[in-house]
Amino acid sequence: MTAVLQTATALQPVAGYRLSLRRFARNRLAVAGLVVVVLFLLFCFAGPLIHPTDQTHTDLNQVNLAPSGAHLLGTDAVGHDEFGRLMFGGKVSLLVGLAAGLLATVIGALWGAVAGYTGGWVDALMMRIVDAGIAIPALFILLVVSAITTPDTLGLILILGLVSWLVPSRLVRAETLTLKSRDYVLTLRAIGGTHGRAIGRHILPNSVSTIVVAATFQVADAILLVAYVSYLGLGVQPPATDWGGMLSSGLTAAYSGRWWLIVPPGLAIILVVCAFNAIGDGLRDAFDVRGRG
Amino acid sequence: METALYLTRRLLQALAVILIVTVVVFCLLHALPGGPARGILGPQATAQQIAAFNHEQGLDRPLPVQYLYYLHTLVQGDLGTSYTLNEAVSRLIEQRLPKTLVLTVLSALLGLLLAIPLGMWQGVRRNKPVDYAVTTLSFVAYSTPVYFLGLLLILVFTQVLRWFPSQAPQGDTLAQVFADPLALVLPVVTGAASMIAVFSRYMRAATLENLAEDYVRTARAGGSRPGAILWRHVFRNSLTPVIAMLGYYVPVLFGGALVVEQLFNYPGMGLLFWSAAQSSDYPVLLGCVLVISVATVIGTLLADIVQRIVDPRVKTERI
Amino acid sequence: MNVLRIEDLGVTFSTDTGEVPAVREVSLHVRPGETLALVGESGSGKSTVALAAMGLLPGNSRVSGRISVDGTEVVGAGEAELAGLRGRTVSMVFQEPAGALDPLTRVGAQIAEVVRNHRPVSRAEASAVAVELLGRVGIPEPERRASAFPFQLSGGQRQRVVIAMAIANSPALLIADEPTTALDVTVQAEILDLLRELAADSGTGVLLVTHNMGVVADFADRVAVMLEGRVVETGPVEDVLLRPTHDYTRRLLAAVPRLAVGEPEAAEPAEKDGAGSAPVVELRDVSVHFGRGRHTVRALREVSLTVRPGETVGLVGESGSGKSTAARVALGLVRPDSGSAALFGSDLARTRGRARRRLLSGVGVVLQDPVASLDARMSVAECVAEPLRVHRRRMSADERRIRVAEVLELVRLPRELAGRGPRELSGGQRQRVSLARALVLDPRLLVADEPTSALDVSVQRTVLEVIAELQGELGFACLFVSHDLAVVQEFAQRVVVMRDGSVEEEGPTMTTLLRPETEYTRRLIAAVPVPDPVLQRRRRASPGLEATA
Repeated sequence: MTAVLQTATALQPVAGYRLSLRRFARNRLAVAGLVVVVLFLLFCFAGPLIHPTDQTHTDLNQVNLAPSGAHLLGTDAVGHDEFGRLMFGGKVSLLVGLAAGLLATVIGALWGAVAGYTGGWVDALMMRIVDAGIAIPALFILLVVSAITTPDTLGLILILGLVSWLVPSRLVRAETLTLKSRDYVLTLRAIGGTHGRAIGRHILPNSVSTIVVAATFQVADAILLVAYVSYLGLGVQPPATDWGGMLSSGLTAAYSGRWWLIVPPGLAIILVVCAFNAIGDGLRDAFDVRGRG
Repeated sequence: METALYLTRRLLQALAVILIVTVVVFCLLHALPGGPARGILGPQATAQQIAAFNHEQGLDRPLPVQYLYYLHTLVQGDLGTSYTLNEAVSRLIEQRLPKTLVLTVLSALLGLLLAIPLGMWQGVRRNKPVDYAVTTLSFVAYSTPVYFLGLLLILVFTQVLRWFPSQAPQGDTLAQVFADPLALVLPVVTGAASMIAVFSRYMRAATLENLAEDYVRTARAGGSRPGAILWRHVFRNSLTPVIAMLGYYVPVLFGGALVVEQLFNYPGMGLLFWSAAQSSDYPVLLGCVLVISVATVIGTLLADIVQRIVDPRVKTERI
Repeated sequence: MNVLRIEDLGVTFSTDTGEVPAVREVSLHVRPGETLALVGESGSGKSTVALAAMGLLPGNSRVSGRISVDGTEVVGAGEAELAGLRGRTVSMVFQEPAGALDPLTRVGAQIAEVVRNHRPVSRAEASAVAVELLGRVGIPEPERRASAFPFQLSGGQRQRVVIAMAIANSPALLIADEPTTALDVTVQAEILDLLRELAADSGTGVLLVTHNMGVVADFADRVAVMLEGRVVETGPVEDVLLRPTHDYTRRLLAAVPRLAVGEPEAAEPAEKDGAGSAPVVELRDVSVHFGRGRHTVRALREVSLTVRPGETVGLVGESGSGKSTAARVALGLVRPDSGSAALFGSDLARTRGRARRRLLSGVGVVLQDPVASLDARMSVAECVAEPLRVHRRRMSADERRIRVAEVLELVRLPRELAGRGPRELSGGQRQRVSLARALVLDPRLLVADEPTSALDVSVQRTVLEVIAELQGELGFACLFVSHDLAVVQEFAQRVVVMRDGSVEEEGPTMTTLLRPETEYTRRLIAAVPVPDPVLQRRRRASPGLEATA
């Protein structure tokens, strides 16, 4: 019934965002993650300007060379410079991952917000659809789709996004349910405010932290998913490639000891996905959000 | 009686989900290029042959009718026939599914057995070096593509150290599978790695939440020691949300199985699916998708039921 | 020897925002068999003192000074030594019964755990002791109840279980931190009776931490008043409550709303004008239920309620009485299953769209929780101006600013606050902003649902004064929902007492509260403690005091 408010703790002299920023900055893993992401972005996008290599034409004179001064990471089976290929493939991995992750978050957020706010049988139906989507493993659907068509980059982003929007939708729905019954929303409705105003001015802005955290984790998942997809041969087609594709084509090489063909792309994937997960974790703690454990 | 009501409701929900899955699969079936006809008759088929085939298979009737017909065949256990292997899909799955289940269940058990104590330990030692170390390891494990991890494990343990064989047990029956336990080690470990990472995080979060609860303070005020409080109270309360998440993790386990089976050449459903994808064997592909989705729904249902048994609050539904 | 002796205690917390000295140079003592009440508002440090005495302070605290419990020094003691003390020599009862018990363990087992912590008995013996304790704290059918889970018990019953755990090993000192604040007032009275009885039976010393002066008058032998970490006044309860010497104590006592008892000849305020005109709110035979099937809750059963222009109607009741639901029906937030709800003469069920919005523009709303009543992402000015944006779209930004300034002045808030965010305001300031927002459209009706229940007593006084003053000036009608009879008595001209979804009794405030007609209302009033120990003792001695001078 009555709980005497602890005014000492309710008073936050520092504005919400600044406090969150401070908390984030104190999370060493998260800051490290941010640094890693920035470094990789620079590497993949600014790198080729400093260290240009030919990634489209093959050079059969330079096949399968071990790392040396001329080729920092050696060459692959058709003569491409591996170091440059890492940058080249990274562009695709990062771009597709970012785009697909953001797309998934946007779709999921809209779906979840509508379901949560409307409630009733609409909510139940929408959530059963989400349950069905979750029940079908993403990899399986991707393989089926690949058996039907081979998508271009845009198509790839679309498909990955369509397969991943389910988790953010549940998170945003939960957040919407909580916010819907907050006093300031109730007050607004009581004095005649419209649903639109409630959603647009109160629920969505207050869901931003949840959505941002979800987006970060989605990007991490998407980059990983792209790597799987390309490994299975369904991603971008040669001569274009991404880190997963590099792993796939370097597989046989691994058994014959040519580690430079699989260790760099593998490490790159691990580092970047790790970094995004660490950032998401840090953001979640900083914003004090509930969500993916 | 509460339980009966709850069970019926959950069952109906599960059925609704399964129905939606069949709709999705059905749509995919009809999104195939040239339809199933071209797949069976081959690219040389003439338009007449295709029309005849379509009429014979009932593929020229309106979609909703076809869907009902499709449901009818499903209920009878008929998932179609494989294009390439010339066997009933249901038989193929029947052969392969148990082996995949062995792999996933073993991976899950290993994952949970390690993740739960690990997560709790992290929760208790929050922000100490141990916590950071395990968190970092978890992130790395989670961020590593399963095939990469598998590859590394193969390289280290089979090529360099030669402790385990590089292929999983090849037998057809379960007995044959278990007869070669060493060969199971690497596949199971690979499958469990990501699960350990994810569930130790969940357990850590649940433990932290419960440590901050009032009842811990009450127990301390009564003179209970930290160890007793942890095991008698915090542990059980932290398990409940983790068990709930288990249901949703089943599809991820199957996805992992796909990659693991391909990597270790394990003749389970994953490998079946993989080969079918290579040869565009649609009946097999779609049959597998259906079976795995149903398995997931059942898994989620079971997880819910276990949760109810463990947590008495869930029994009496509040409004 | 004192069961509790605190000398020069200092506690400082290291937080995100710096060092916070919560307790400074506090000295006090409790003798065997006596009850010392530690009183103060939020932030006074009283709970910190209680936790320090148990050695239960969080890790980010630094403690200086000495605390001795029945001869044993607590400050600096090792965890093992403290664990030996807790539950045996000193026990604690906490405020929130909801989370205080492990939801997955049966209550009997939880009590047995405390017993086995300090006595080398077998499980079976401990269970038997647990059952006996449950009986002692007044739980009916203790053998059956011992195997219940906490969620199967009511709040009051859960608190009894916590008390059973606290007295299990006959402690020398019992610390009770706001033990009844989260409970209904009738349940509160029962729990306090229980505590008093147990303490008297066993000669236990009690340290009672509370902000409620009535509870102090009812229970304590001595009082210590805390302000900002220091003790400002100590003494026997009669002295401190009836003849306070410190300025803060005097202000605190003055701010407490006092339920007038035993003075039936108080003047009846004249009937407000407009008694004959159309009612502002009219609920007729409204019934509302929530949930389905087995779990249907009948929140309202054929409730009829009227509010006339310019008058204040107090809607009182305990939790589950339906008072908040009735307010929400009046606001159109909840649709009645049967009966009708009319606002300003129009039936809410039949008014839709623009007409409905126009109707609702005549209403202002203030709800209980100061934290959730304002969207922290908007500035104060934006919060207050929101109704203007909803209903007066044609107002320019300048006009809005002027109106916002006007209304902030009305609620006695400085203009500079307009640009700040809600996070920078105190609870009382936030409620006043909420009030300003409610008044910005010059409403004819103000609906206030427990507007001050979450505030400190002194802050509450300011907010209530502002509401009363504004009502006098602006003449709006007011539907005031509260569980606090004293507050309602000060404010409302008419009072409606609700119980279990129906109207128990209604009428002019003074008459109804001083000469209640129903047994329930009598019990309700009798359960409210007044901050006058002499009067409180007399009330306890003869429960029928209300009716006579």
